[in-house]
Amino acid sequence: MIEVQGLEKTYSTGSVTTPVLKDINFRINEGEYVAIMGTSGTGKSTLMNILGCLDKPTGGNYWLDDADVGSLGDDALSHLRNRKIGFVFQQFHLLERATAMRNMMLPLIYVDEYPEDAEKMAEKALAAVGLADRRQYRPNELSGGQQQRVAIARALITDPEIILADEPTGALDRKSGLEVMAIFKKLHRQGRTIILVTHDRAVAEHAQRIIVLDDGKIAEDGAAGKQRDPDVELDTLGAVEDEK
Amino acid sequence: MSSPLRIAREALATIAGNKLRFFMMITAIFIGIASLTVVICISQGTKQRVMMLVSRHGLDALMIRPGSGKKAGAPGGDRSIVSLSEDDARAIEASVRNVLRVAPVQNQRGMDVKYKERSIATTVFGVTTAWAEVRGFGAAEGAFISAEDMMLSSRVCLLGRTARESLFGDADPVGQTIRIRNVAFIVKGVLVEKGASASGKDRDDRIVIPLSTASKRLFAQTYLNQIVVQARDVRAIQETAKDIRALLRERHGLRPGAIDDFSIREPKELADMASGTSATLTALLLAMAGISMLVGGLVIMNIMLISVSERRAEIGLRRAVGARKRDITRQMLIECLSVALAGGLLGVLFGVGITTVLSLAGIAASKAGWLPFAVSVVCCSAIAIAFGIYPAKKAASIDPIAALRS
Repeated sequence: MIEVQGLEKTYSTGSVTTPVLKDINFRINEGEYVAIMGTSGTGKSTLMNILGCLDKPTGGNYWLDDADVGSLGDDALSHLRNRKIGFVFQQFHLLERATAMRNMMLPLIYVDEYPEDAEKMAEKALAAVGLADRRQYRPNELSGGQQQRVAIARALITDPEIILADEPTGALDRKSGLEVMAIFKKLHRQGRTIILVTHDRAVAEHAQRIIVLDDGKIAEDGAAGKQRDPDVELDTLGAVEDEK
Repeated sequence: MSSPLRIAREALATIAGNKLRFFMMITAIFIGIASLTVVICISQGTKQRVMMLVSRHGLDALMIRPGSGKKAGAPGGDRSIVSLSEDDARAIEASVRNVLRVAPVQNQRGMDVKYKERSIATTVFGVTTAWAEVRGFGAAEGAFISAEDMMLSSRVCLLGRTARESLFGDADPVGQTIRIRNVAFIVKGVLVEKGASASGKDRDDRIVIPLSTASKRLFAQTYLNQIVVQARDVRAIQETAKDIRALLRERHGLRPGAIDDFSIREPKELADMASGTSATLTALLLAMAGISMLVGGLVIMNIMLISVSERRAEIGLRRAVGARKRDITRQMLIECLSVALAGGLLGVLFGVGITTVLSLAGIAASKAGWLPFAVSVVCCSAIAIAFGIYPAKKAASIDPIAALRS
């Protein structure tokens, strides 16, 4: 469902051209749990932006479910972002003055046809992240982990195929981070495609497959050695805290 | 819920969450609209008052007389004296634009009028029902000449105040019989008091009877001594006079070059009164109101630009979850529009309040109505769109990647 062939991204300002991605090739199938790894400056953010239809490649092709993203106009890309992709950001990016409920339902404002059971969908998404009793809270009344969970619920509201998470645990403490990873594991089990973008190996190892970028090219692409299990790690953490 | 409605809800939710900022924008519009409202109300009120005065003093009427020129005995002779007919009056009423009413008149001076042992000499006017409206000379007591009186050529009359006092003193004249040139007439009413005319004549020294009666039974004349024409719109009265002149020349078969066998007198003063001098003042005040609205618009644009730059991350997020450029533009414009209309509404209410106070204090006439509201809605919408479009477009072209990076 995601096919990337000879993908290139080059920035040019005036006479200076900076190639960021060079000849990227891979395929991600439906239901895979993939981590894209690399230190900063390796182009992983750029790749993520292209995969998320926020940016277009300057060379090569990106096919998302047989649609050639590079040839699409701004409105078409917006539509894809609305229906097929759910973003989760490191900084959460919630609306400060809106409740959790309203934050979650944000993508629904921009659908072509407003679903009749929108409220029900919202309830389901909230329940999926375990925040049913916090729906009227504002972001400043929620912990970091809870805010990120609202953001994940928002990413799920239009039932997209792909969850695209950019350093989702970067702003969270260890426990909240693991809780978030546990949610991703659950979502993956339900059949969604999860793409994780991170510089942290420990986070990347939660995925089934790791694509490592180095200097704009793919250095590694294969199954993680041993896939981490967030639920197990949470139990361990709990036990440690109980002992304290 | 449709897409524009959802966007509108987002816009209102944003406004609710940023009350102070949008309150500043409201204030910017409020002042301009309040002053515009005051200008509109006062100019309308003044116009209304002037119209009332014009009508009351008969300044909205044209006086047509037979005979060319103002001097008696001008060339044209006998023929011109009989040149105006009732058919002329009917033609004017039917085919000239801006004509509200036409009153054909016959009159003769020095008519011998007797009641019991008293006798006076006064002017008798043969008039139609319309004359009361056109000349503002209705019945103060009793009733005016009716269409039935006209049809039957009844021998009824109304007395002017002076004539009434001379013949009846304090007694009630209505229903009594007087003799005009020995013909018996029943007094139907007394005319309102008018006092002296500009040239010093006593306008209350008169008696009016139906035109048909005058024509057939008293004067035995068919031609008219006057036609008084009341204009609908006083400001166009000069045009109307021209139209009447053209019509009468045609009807009287006057070739180009031949002088008129009639004269049309228009009240010159009213043209200035009704539209002239106050127009300059109104224009000045409107310019001031316009400038303050322009300033208001600039303030709105400024505040919107600040708002947009502060909301970069939010806008980037909306784009990331699927908002198209035009969804962003629309939301910004609706925010602007809502605020501008709110400020406009407050401005109109405040402006109406001020003009009410001014008119109660007797400083200026004022008339509120739907016009200030309509003007306010149009102006506010125009300002909101004109000054909001640039910030809105800027918001729409924000790069989500850059905006979300922060």
